[in-house]
Amino acid sequence: MADRTEKQAAAQQAVDILHEISTLLNCHLDRRTLSICISMIENGVNPEALAEVVKELRNEGQNMQLEAAAAAAGASSRRR
Amino acid sequence: MSHAPRNRISNAIDSLITHLVPSNPNDDEQTAQERHDACFELVRTIFERPGSPSISADVNHASDLIKRKLIQSNPSQALRFSNLYTRLLSLPVLNQKWAILYLLYQLSDSPDPNEPPPAKSPAVPRGLTSREPSFRERERQDEVPREQRAPQEENFREPTSREPSFRESVAQRATVRSTVTVESKTSTPAPAPPPVSEEEAVNNVFAPGGLKKLPTERPGRNTTTEETRSQPGAGDGSTKKSARDVSIKSTLLADNSLEFEPSEMGLLRDLPFTLQGLSSTTLPFTKDTVLKLPPTLPLPIVSLLHTLAEPSLLYRGLANFVKSPAKGLLGQSLRAAINNELRSYLTLVATLEAQIRRALSSLDEAAPRGGIGKAGVTLKRCVVWTREATMGLRLMSLISEESYSKQGGQLISLIHGFSTSHGDPVVAAFAERLLADVTRPFYDILRRWIYDGELSDPHLEFFVREQNPNNEKQNEVKAKGQASVWNSKYEVVDAMVPSIMTADFAQKVFLIGKSLNFIRHSCGDSQWVDAYSKTSSKELKYGDTATLEKWIDDAYKTTMQRLMMLMNTRFRLFDHLQALKNYILLGQGDFIALLMESLAANLDRPAGAQYRHTLTAQLEHAIRGSNAQYDSDEVLRRLDARMLQLSHGDIGWDCFTLEYKIDAPVDVVVTEWGNRQYLKVFNFLWRIKRVEFALASTWRKCMTGARGVLQSNDEVVLQTWKSTRGTLAEMIHFVGQLQYYILFEVIESSWGELQKNIRKEDCTLDDLITAHTKYLTSITHKGLLGARRRQYHDLQKEAAALGRDASEVEDRNSYMVQLSLLLRNMLDYRDSVDGLYSWSVSDFTRRQEVDTASLLRKHRPNSDMENSVGGVDDPFFSGGIGDNIKSEFPVLQERLKQLGVSFRTRLQILLGDLAYQPDVDMRFLGVSMNFNDVYQPVRRKSAKAAAAGGGGTSNVGSNVGSNVSGQEKQGNVSNANVSFSASRA
Repeated sequence: MADRTEKQAAAQQAVDILHEISTLLNCHLDRRTLSICISMIENGVNPEALAEVVKELRNEGQNMQLEAAAAAAGASSRRR
Repeated sequence: MSHAPRNRISNAIDSLITHLVPSNPNDDEQTAQERHDACFELVRTIFERPGSPSISADVNHASDLIKRKLIQSNPSQALRFSNLYTRLLSLPVLNQKWAILYLLYQLSDSPDPNEPPPAKSPAVPRGLTSREPSFRERERQDEVPREQRAPQEENFREPTSREPSFRESVAQRATVRSTVTVESKTSTPAPAPPPVSEEEAVNNVFAPGGLKKLPTERPGRNTTTEETRSQPGAGDGSTKKSARDVSIKSTLLADNSLEFEPSEMGLLRDLPFTLQGLSSTTLPFTKDTVLKLPPTLPLPIVSLLHTLAEPSLLYRGLANFVKSPAKGLLGQSLRAAINNELRSYLTLVATLEAQIRRALSSLDEAAPRGGIGKAGVTLKRCVVWTREATMGLRLMSLISEESYSKQGGQLISLIHGFSTSHGDPVVAAFAERLLADVTRPFYDILRRWIYDGELSDPHLEFFVREQNPNNEKQNEVKAKGQASVWNSKYEVVDAMVPSIMTADFAQKVFLIGKSLNFIRHSCGDSQWVDAYSKTSSKELKYGDTATLEKWIDDAYKTTMQRLMMLMNTRFRLFDHLQALKNYILLGQGDFIALLMESLAANLDRPAGAQYRHTLTAQLEHAIRGSNAQYDSDEVLRRLDARMLQLSHGDIGWDCFTLEYKIDAPVDVVVTEWGNRQYLKVFNFLWRIKRVEFALASTWRKCMTGARGVLQSNDEVVLQTWKSTRGTLAEMIHFVGQLQYYILFEVIESSWGELQKNIRKEDCTLDDLITAHTKYLTSITHKGLLGARRRQYHDLQKEAAALGRDASEVEDRNSYMVQLSLLLRNMLDYRDSVDGLYSWSVSDFTRRQEVDTASLLRKHRPNSDMENSVGGVDDPFFSGGIGDNIKSEFPVLQERLKQLGVSFRTRLQILLGDLAYQPDVDMRFLGVSMNFNDVYQPVRRKSAKAAAAGGGGTSNVGSNVGSNVSGQEKQGNVSNANVSFSASRA
């Protein structure tokens, strides 16, 4: 049990450090995304591909927001 | 991959999608699910895409990349990153640290997902992928081929099958076309790769590894290489992704390794030698500036070696330069500085060599391409490592080449130019560093100069240098008598002033050194200079300009103060100036009057009869008898009376002069030229004084005589006397005004100006010299000595009109000549008056005698029998005498009249000239002479016309003659004037 908490603390520390580096580099990753990414990489995902994935998903998310905004705008204009 | 991680990955993907792609509140559950699935599918395809290489060989690679990136943008963050990195390395939990770092690197500077997306988000280029169309877009374009991807991928997974084709293409790389055809043949199932522009191709080969801007020499060749090299990647259109990096490259190279002779290992092994400029078997230097590459190499390697050859050749050149003998101290210091830089370059080469050694020793011979890709040291990386050094070498070789034609200050200016005006901050910083070393001897010289006043500059590198005695300009100044120890010992060479100091500053430095030198050598105060240099000497260094300036200002102030103090107290410069004014410029009236009185009798004799001892005796007498006796010995000792060079016919008055002896070091202020000016002014004033003296004595005689001897009943004689007195009074008035003007308006006001200038707080010796020169110039100019009446071309015209030569006209035109003519005229007039006086006296005696005789005759009427003959004779006799005397009178009368008229004419011309003088003071002289408009100023033109009209009448100097004839018209006016003057007198 003690071993486990120790490990968690270490992992926490690792995430801390990496998060700091990511801010240095302007990665715009929050801690949660970062820890997901870390665990994926630890499980053998290719970092390059993962980077691509993150970018694509962000893109997707932005598109979504754009669409939602457009829909909202359309709805409001229609209401008028 | 085992089952468990696969599951975990899917879970992670899920959470990632939900986290990054927010659910749209407007969508219903199904659309959300669909969207989620689509995303999931997308992610999977990306993950499963092949070509994701293993970069496990480059453990430190990712951190290197990050570090470099941060250094470029923000060096302080780079430091922080290395701290974090070491902490990360010490953590035990993570196994794939590099991969995470790599991920972060890839994501660096990505746009903030929380910001609203730009208008056309999919098409917008971003970050690293700037030139590539977004993945999504390409995905859409490749919609159709996607189905075909499976077989194609399989094809790719067996590189061996493609190997021959690649080889083939390499073999045929000479022609791009054929390569392309081969390529299209071999990768038939694949869609045509997206068109790759040439620039992009170059980028793909060289850029991603961190080498951002390799000079793209021979782009054609590079393109060829690119075509062949990128071919496997291009086989799969979708894999040709935005961020292609060295790791991919190295893997690809490893996979498709190309054997060439000599091998890359061999080249690497020899590279350190080449970089040190030494020949090796594979890369021999055939000449000093030529590196021979083996002909068997493939072109990309050749291109890399070209890049690597640059520092090698530059190093060789610089090493030769360092060994070459220097021209001066600054040249030596430049060589030393470059040598230092070269040493650090060699250190770099040494570390490079160590890296190469280590990499080569750990090489896995079995791996493709000798496993060089995994060792972490490749030729390409060497290019990157030597890049910055190459920049430095380039700059240094530029400087070294230019330095051959430059010297001293120019050399500093050259390097300083790089450090201040070069756009590249790296170059500027480098030049700055170089400058600190190079300027050392310069600052040594500067220090000796401003603290010791000695110029220790054996190679003529400083901007102050001793004046060349053969300098033409110098000789000219010397001929004018303005040269002195102060002015002509050193000079500033403008071209040698380095750009690290302004011209103002240089002038200051020059003055400091000059003053110190002057104090030491001319003022004989070397103790003070020694003490000063001991107490205030400081180490001068390049860099802190503000402090340097402050020190130099301090030094400037101290030296200037000391110099002025010396001049004032020890050499009593101000006393001397005062004495010059008092004695030479006739400021001390009682002294001058006494001197003139005691010398008058003596000076009337011819110049040859003047003896120095009498002159000095009279001078001594004048000093003792006047207030001058209270002046200090120091001053009186220097006063001397002597004769100028005699010429035939001169009398004592013409030759006599007072002299004030000035010796070093005051002679830097009162130069030889200045002495001459003083002498000139003295002579002029002395002459005026003499005329005044003569007129005054004659006037006195007349006045006393009028009460006795001059009384007469003859109307004509009385009239003559009256007009004579009038003219005499006019002359006295003129001389008085002239003296007042020169002594008071000119000398005193200039003196006031001089006093104001030299009593200033921060007055320097230079200021003093300038002020004094100005003082003398204004005296000589305003005192009518130097002022020219008209422009030269006017003179020429006039000369032509009058048919005389220009010099004569010019002479006539200077005020000096006009005045001296006037003065001579007055002296002549005074002689005539004396003549008239003696005639009157003799007339008076004759009349007295006649009276006495008649009285005697009356008293002794009886005795005239004996004297009858005498009595008969007597009237005859006396009549004869009377006739004799009478006959003299009209001549005298005529002469007096003529002289008076010519005086008046000249005066009117002078007034006419003065009225049109640009100088206000001189104009005012005219006004004060003619305060009641007695005279009518004559413009030169009318005089000329008169001269032209009456030119024929007189051949004895048409000047006077014409003036007389011109005067005729104004005769009645002048008569009125005479009576006025007489009554006033």
